[in-house]
Amino acid sequence: MAAAAQSLRLALRCSSRRVAPRIQLARPQKLTVARPFSTTPLRRAEEEDPQEVEEEVRIFDNPGDALQELLRTGELSEEEQLDAVEAQKAWEQLPIEEKQKIIADVKGVREHIAPLRRPVPKPKNSFWNVDEKDTEMITNEVGEDEFDEDEITSMGHAKLEEHREFREYARIAVWEMPLLAKLAKPFKPPTNEHVLRFRYTSYMGEFHPAEKKVVVQFCPDDLGLTKQQQLKLAKIAGSRYNPETNIIKMSCEMFEHQAQNKRYLGDLVEKMIATAKDPTDTFEDIPLDTRHHTFTKKPKFPKEWRLTAERQAQIEEQRKQALLLDETKRREGSLIDGVERIQYALAGPSRDEMDGRVAELVSAPRSSAKTRGANFRR
Amino acid sequence: MMAVPNCLRCLVRPSTTSITTSVIPQSQRIVPILAAPFSTTSSVQKAGMQPRKKAGIPGKGSLSRAQIGPNGHIRAGKKMQLGKFKKAKNIERGKAPAPGERKAFRKRVLLSNDNALPVTGLEELSAQGLLDASNVGRMVALPNELVDQLRAVEAFKPTQSWGMFRQPSVLLRKESVELAKKMTETAGRGETLKLVISGDKLVGKSMLLLQAISNAFLNNWIVFHVPEGQELTNASTDYAPIPDTKPTQYSQQAYGLRLLQALRKANASILAELRTVNPHPELVQHFPVGSSLLQLANAAREPDSAWPIFNAVWSELMVKGNGRPPILFSVDGLAHIMKMSEYRSPAFEIIHAHDLALVNHFVEFLAGNKKLPNGGAVIAATARSNAPRNPSMELMVGRREAELGYAEEKPVKEPYGKGYDERVEKALEKVDVLKLRSVSRTEARSLMEYWAASGLLRTAVDEKTVSEKWMIGGNGNLGEMERVSLLTMRY
Repeated sequence: MAAAAQSLRLALRCSSRRVAPRIQLARPQKLTVARPFSTTPLRRAEEEDPQEVEEEVRIFDNPGDALQELLRTGELSEEEQLDAVEAQKAWEQLPIEEKQKIIADVKGVREHIAPLRRPVPKPKNSFWNVDEKDTEMITNEVGEDEFDEDEITSMGHAKLEEHREFREYARIAVWEMPLLAKLAKPFKPPTNEHVLRFRYTSYMGEFHPAEKKVVVQFCPDDLGLTKQQQLKLAKIAGSRYNPETNIIKMSCEMFEHQAQNKRYLGDLVEKMIATAKDPTDTFEDIPLDTRHHTFTKKPKFPKEWRLTAERQAQIEEQRKQALLLDETKRREGSLIDGVERIQYALAGPSRDEMDGRVAELVSAPRSSAKTRGANFRR
Repeated sequence: MMAVPNCLRCLVRPSTTSITTSVIPQSQRIVPILAAPFSTTSSVQKAGMQPRKKAGIPGKGSLSRAQIGPNGHIRAGKKMQLGKFKKAKNIERGKAPAPGERKAFRKRVLLSNDNALPVTGLEELSAQGLLDASNVGRMVALPNELVDQLRAVEAFKPTQSWGMFRQPSVLLRKESVELAKKMTETAGRGETLKLVISGDKLVGKSMLLLQAISNAFLNNWIVFHVPEGQELTNASTDYAPIPDTKPTQYSQQAYGLRLLQALRKANASILAELRTVNPHPELVQHFPVGSSLLQLANAAREPDSAWPIFNAVWSELMVKGNGRPPILFSVDGLAHIMKMSEYRSPAFEIIHAHDLALVNHFVEFLAGNKKLPNGGAVIAATARSNAPRNPSMELMVGRREAELGYAEEKPVKEPYGKGYDERVEKALEKVDVLKLRSVSRTEARSLMEYWAASGLLRTAVDEKTVSEKWMIGGNGNLGEMERVSLLTMRY
């Protein structure tokens, strides 16, 4: 098998694209120290014959052809030539299936490595080579973003998922929810024994800092206290007392657990009640402070404004009276019209008035020029 | 060398050049005279005129660039011109108004408008007419003597629209007749009417006060009227502590003089008849017993001497009998004299308004601590637009209103409320309140007819127009009605 592997190695080497440069590299190079120290700028050695460099790139299907070509060109050393002849013999002696398999393998390998071998053009003017692909990063996700047009899009999948969810909940609503009715308990209003109303907060199993908070509400009237004691309790509660609803509302989130907070509130309420019942100081000299509360007054539609049948009749009557009044005034001539008055005043005194008057003879005053000027100005 | 004569010629006025030298350049001689068919300048003069060069263009020579400053400093080089495309501002500012002129303009009261039509058939206001209930809802003209008196005590306000009508006239409302009756009755019994006129904004509180003052003048009362309560307390007149008073009271001499001047202008005829009863040794001038009060009042010429004379006049008027008439003492803007004033004591403590002697005079009468010996009235009108917040006054007035049935609920004192003033509450405890409310439609109609007859309301005044304006004007709030029908250009 060693011979077969050797032949395969050779065949691969030969069938690579860049045949000639490989051969060139294999050539021994002169071991000369090129200018260890110099003051003149470095100059390139003269270019070699371009004919030699520009080798034709040929691709061979099988190692046999490659070896044949290699031998034909005759650029090998003797040792290599012997190896090549030997390898060609070994290739020819292989059974046809093996040959075909190798050919197929070579083809397959070539196809697979083709994208890797493709030269990556360096993007011009890129800042810090941002757009450059990292060829060294090996991932499994080759071509995962490619869409083969054989499936619905991920958005479509999401939509379908949503539908499935809807239907799941619909099934629950139809089949499972009615079963909950078996567990339902009839509502019982809180009795006189249950005067405290607690509020807890649950975040459905999630951790939340507000979960520990407990709020208690109670009305001072429900505690079996006298009026005086109730008032004292409201005064003790301070800004926690709502004078509009007559409810005291307190909360606690001092402790880590809900139960602890609730216990604290319960104790506090008991202490407050005990203090309110204490007759040594009734707090009567202190007025109830309601500055914390803004009383809102909701305007209501006044009863007197309702347009009842009676009111409508009344309005009708008033209108009728108003019309009548206007009409009588108009007939009497005592209805005053601003526009008429102005026009009348602008028209000046009537002719009758003017005829009645006799032109008076007024002697021309012997006034100085100054006073005349003043008169004129006026 | 040719440039020199040209330049020199530039310096001479063009007209003189052409006249003195009578050398008209060839090019200008051809200018046709017909080019200007009408002109006030002579054609020769015109021909000599050169178009003026722009002043801002700097010359080309280096000498013209150099600039000589006002202090002789020569500044060479190019001067940067910022904003050279801006036009030179040449705003003609007229003479600035003299100190006090603006205020005088703002506060002036015009009582007549020659452009308004005279309204014929208006009765004149009389003492009897004010008492007649059948006059309710009638416009009456103020007689000229009364107008002079009202003007003397500054009862007319610049915010009232007297200046729109030919002659000052007022509407007699239900409340005005009631108030006049109350005043006459109380004074007839020799008692003092203590009244606060309250009501909504623009409802006519000052106008009602004016009618009360008119009533006093028509009945030959003595009237002291403070037209703006704030003038007493906002530290705008000088003040001085009165010696030997505890707690210290403060006199306001200039304001006292003003009141005296108003008094002798408005009540001269009454004062001339009244004779002094007491000697006044504290006065510089000697007034023998039996000299007229007008003489006494006339002695006050300067603020420095006004305060003792003011006191003397007061004490003379406070004498019971002796033909002393009833007195009306009124203040407009009550809230201003029911709070801490803007004045400071020598220890730099704020002075309470009630410690000012003039205010104290008024408040004592309003509270009922003192009584006018010959009867009379002490009336204060509240103001709504120019009024500092005054919880105590509002509370007391509100309580009195509730007691009189103007409001359903009696207001209660807020237990932790700030700004309550016990002195104010005490002063207003026994006061009577008149809450002025909207006018009825008949009253509104009469007023609108007056407007139309004056040529100010250009519509026929029928029931429709009246109810329209009545409703738009806050259901008969007179000031609002005036706003929506007369002052539409202003608002």
